[in-house]
Amino acid sequence: MTTALTDLPVLLKGIPSGAWVAISEEKNVVMAYGPDAQEVLREAKERGEAHPLILRVPDEAVAMFF
Amino acid sequence: MPKVAYPFTKLSIPPNDPYPKGQIAYRPLALATLTAPNGESLRCVVWLDTGADACVFPLVMAIALKLDVLSLPKGTTGGVGTATNVTYYADITIDIGNGISFPAYAGFTEGMNIHGIGLLGQAGFFSMYDVAFSHKKSVFVIEAP
Repeated sequence: MTTALTDLPVLLKGIPSGAWVAISEEKNVVMAYGPDAQEVLREAKERGEAHPLILRVPDEAVAMFF
Repeated sequence: MPKVAYPFTKLSIPPNDPYPKGQIAYRPLALATLTAPNGESLRCVVWLDTGADACVFPLVMAIALKLDVLSLPKGTTGGVGTATNVTYYADITIDIGNGISFPAYAGFTEGMNIHGIGLLGQAGFFSMYDVAFSHKKSVFVIEAP
């Protein structure tokens, strides 16, 4: 099962706001998370995920205007 | 030529003063692979944003792509809540799957770090693809020329 955008709220549950998260889309699991994106990517790759999906947990769920 | 429909992503926003019952936001999001000329690639979330003049990403993604940020051309850009952001530009390829892949002179700015996603904007994306948004049907359709 590969990760879909609709999976993200479940995958990100319990992860602190503001954290960067690396996800294995193939395994549909969080591989690493933390405050530093580069460190999170490095950790995910060390755990065998060569091409993780990376994103940041929003500080809070709010309406957005760019 | 590909013509691909993507669902809007439905997100719940908790109650707050102006919306005591909360809100449901429908966002035109997709998953993308960014590839730099050096061959480094990165998977991320992108938001189709007709209000963005170009494609722009968090600066941390330029570093992850091993772009030499300090050697990139830079300029100032603006957005809601920010007067100016320093934005660095590089040629990359953006692939959102289903045959939708395109070269873009993309910006990378610290101002996007807090959002942690990229924006697909006018130059590079909407300049290449026709996109129809249907909020009622909760889909957006991307059509290559």
